[in-house]
Amino acid sequence: MTSKIAADKPGSFALLNGDEAVARGAVEATVKVAAAYPGTPATEILESIAEVAKEFGIYAEWSINEIVAAEVAAGASMAGVRSMVSMKHVGLNVAADAVMTLAYTGVEGGLVIAVCDDPALHSSQNEQDTRFFAVHSKLPLLDAGSPQEAHDMAREAFEISEKLGLPVILRLTTRVAHGKARVKLGTFQKISRRADFDKNGSKWVMVPSNAIRQHRVLEGRLAEAKRLAENSGFNVLEDNGCEIGIVGSGVGYYYARSVLNTKKFSWLKLGFVHPFPEEAVKKFASKVKKLIVIEELRPYIEENIQRLCLQVSGKIQLGLEEIGEFTPDNIRQALAKQGLTTQTEKQEPVDLPPRPPALCPGCPHRAFYYALNMVNQSVNCDTDKCVGCDICEYACSFEKEKVFNPLKSRIRSVRINQTLNTAVTCKACINAPCIKACPEEAITQSKETGSIVLDETKCKGCDWCIEACKYGAITRHPTTHKAMVCDRCDGDPKCIPACPESALSLGGKSNDKIVTGDIGCYTLGVLPPVNAVQSCLCMGAGISQAAGMIHAGVKDKVFSVIGDSTFFHGGMPGLLNIVYNKANVCVIVMDNSVVAMTGHQPTPGSGKTAMGTDAKIVKIQDIAKAVGIEKVEVIDPYDIKTATAKIRETIEYNGPSVIISQRPCPLLIERGKPREIKEECNACGICVKAFGCPAISLQKDHAEIDSSLCYGCGVCETVCQFDAIRRKEK
Amino acid sequence: MNLDVVFSGVGGQGVVVLSDIYCEAAMLDGFDVAKAEIHGMAQRGGSIVAYARIGAKVESPLIETGKADAIVGFEILETARALPMLKQHGTVIVNKKYIPPNCMVAGAKPKKAEDLMALVRAKALVHEVDGIGIAQKLGNLLVVNTILLGALSALPEIPVKTVSFEQAIAGKIKEKYVNLNLKAFQLGRESVLMS
Repeated sequence: MTSKIAADKPGSFALLNGDEAVARGAVEATVKVAAAYPGTPATEILESIAEVAKEFGIYAEWSINEIVAAEVAAGASMAGVRSMVSMKHVGLNVAADAVMTLAYTGVEGGLVIAVCDDPALHSSQNEQDTRFFAVHSKLPLLDAGSPQEAHDMAREAFEISEKLGLPVILRLTTRVAHGKARVKLGTFQKISRRADFDKNGSKWVMVPSNAIRQHRVLEGRLAEAKRLAENSGFNVLEDNGCEIGIVGSGVGYYYARSVLNTKKFSWLKLGFVHPFPEEAVKKFASKVKKLIVIEELRPYIEENIQRLCLQVSGKIQLGLEEIGEFTPDNIRQALAKQGLTTQTEKQEPVDLPPRPPALCPGCPHRAFYYALNMVNQSVNCDTDKCVGCDICEYACSFEKEKVFNPLKSRIRSVRINQTLNTAVTCKACINAPCIKACPEEAITQSKETGSIVLDETKCKGCDWCIEACKYGAITRHPTTHKAMVCDRCDGDPKCIPACPESALSLGGKSNDKIVTGDIGCYTLGVLPPVNAVQSCLCMGAGISQAAGMIHAGVKDKVFSVIGDSTFFHGGMPGLLNIVYNKANVCVIVMDNSVVAMTGHQPTPGSGKTAMGTDAKIVKIQDIAKAVGIEKVEVIDPYDIKTATAKIRETIEYNGPSVIISQRPCPLLIERGKPREIKEECNACGICVKAFGCPAISLQKDHAEIDSSLCYGCGVCETVCQFDAIRRKEK
Repeated sequence: MNLDVVFSGVGGQGVVVLSDIYCEAAMLDGFDVAKAEIHGMAQRGGSIVAYARIGAKVESPLIETGKADAIVGFEILETARALPMLKQHGTVIVNKKYIPPNCMVAGAKPKKAEDLMALVRAKALVHEVDGIGIAQKLGNLLVVNTILLGALSALPEIPVKTVSFEQAIAGKIKEKYVNLNLKAFQLGRESVLMS
């Protein structure tokens, strides 16, 4: 099937989303070079262009980040051809350094910067409003409210850019970018240009003496842009001779139209919003008695109208927030309060269990997080199940001393109150305080398993370790008076199968390691039951945040988790920095060789480009070694035992280290044989409560695997401590 | 007047593709269309909802609460979740499949499929479609969503012609699966017409 945006049928309609519409508009306008870094909701712009690139003689690339993409587009524009760079709103922050000064140099071939904002943060970390970036950078901005506008504006933006000699920002929001609508297609323009660069132009060299001159040039261009905005066909006035006039931009304006009787109001839809078309707004204001502004996020139009000393009802008067997105519901509510429309009947809310997003079945990230959580593995007790029967104590004393004597047990049954019981044993802390407390150096920690090991020949029974343990997990032997501590029976604790209530399980949940996170699918590791990640700021931040904590003097071991594409995007400088400034961060690169979150775009590690041609595969381990990391481990996250052992090694290691957890995203490879639950299952729940695979659910007395969801990774077999999961035959 | 349909299901069930085909069909009949959906983070195994609006002129892509004419539910819990969108005495087409969410994780109380269905029946005119049963007869479980589209097409309030639906299916589905899907569409249609 050919691409929807390739059809040479001007005047016909296609069902396009805003991103596809931008791509079509750019192709119609003969864009020659397009670059981007994937980011929801802007991804499909470059994706759609790349799909038709060969057919239309376009060069399209996934750059490693947004500033690189912006610079590639800038270079193409300097060579005289039309170029486009697209990104999500936060990507513009990354590209800002280039864009701010591009405003000074200006452009040769038309350059369009397509940016998608994300009100309500459907898939983002903030709600910044790109219209204010246009003010900040002094660049013209077109604000699309529908896929049709996105198409028309993308096409026109190249003309405006070349007329002004400036890059033009085209802004979409999520509901425009990912809303589909009937879009009327235009003709493919016939513009043929030879790429050539004028080597003598001083305007490209932004040394101070040139730059101050170019700043003056920019002001002149901005004045010209204002003239274009005043007369732009994207600012649509509908004068119905009414008292109330409604001004708006973006999709919010159309919500207002859909909840009001349009004939009873006059309308001004602003599309060319920066520079602000003051005269057009003044003209509209003179025709009505009252102005109402409808705009998502920050009050950009409202403040500009106030600057004209005009009365206006905006955010505060209408009770509309700067936070979140508009919907027809909240717009109706606001306008009904003004008496402009009717309230709708209140709907009874239904109390239903939520279905939050989760890491997919078979996801290697889940397996790795499980290994990470297991690093300080211990016998844990489910207080909902424990009845305080003390059988674990008997099992332990029999295993260790061949007697049934609870006083000789390494696990302690504890009554919290009359109805709540639990069992306490060693938590195998990282940097365990008992080790430091022992004056005889009788306590050590196993490098492989993390178990606390007591050398009874050295122990003098001073009890200092008992005082140091914040869990009360070390006890005193009633006859030898030496310390006793759980060693987890070499990884096979005998208390677990002995518990008649299946309350005990071997698990890990650290409260003595810090894990900074980053942006990608693996950010879902913050959700229960994984609970492995404690931060998420911006692309590449985790590594340097971890370093900052170490320099601040935190006592805990600090890990930083980052995806492969995020590592290429913004993690590499941070990695170099922890080598140079010596921070003992263990950086974990979750390498699934693709940008999974945004829909599987290739990365420098995939061996493919945006246009499907072969590329050199860049290995993360090579980069890590090249910047000076001396401890680099590549592991298979499905192999939880090895993964745990390697993570533990890095805890002991003095210096920055890198673990690369390597497994392709399971959505891209063929499924394995599904797993099934065997009779041995006693509903201990570890596969659901600690591992958290969405394919497994917990019934009353057993777990169940939905074979239509199971990817057959088989990691649950390792997780299960009762050998109750097997490969499904037939 | 616009005709508003909510498509509701779980990520991976084909909610977005199906609502696309519905809109393409409406466009063939000359309707204006607008739809909304969410990609990215929200997609990973979570609830998925797509809004599709058709009419002579559609101003915006989102449907107002309590104004949807029909819901196409791919799964029982997600159908119940979309209920507040539906107008009083609106129509619900529901695929008789329950995918329980991971309640252990979310800390919420599980609901029985029957209780959820009771909620749906209390508010709407319901057409229950045994999507999986019909799909099994056709020998391919992946056509469940086309069966639901067939059921939707049979509702008296849907103004889109059957032939336009069929043309839209043929335009969107891989060639070798077109006949299978047209059959699935027909069976879905009959399941409502015969009931």
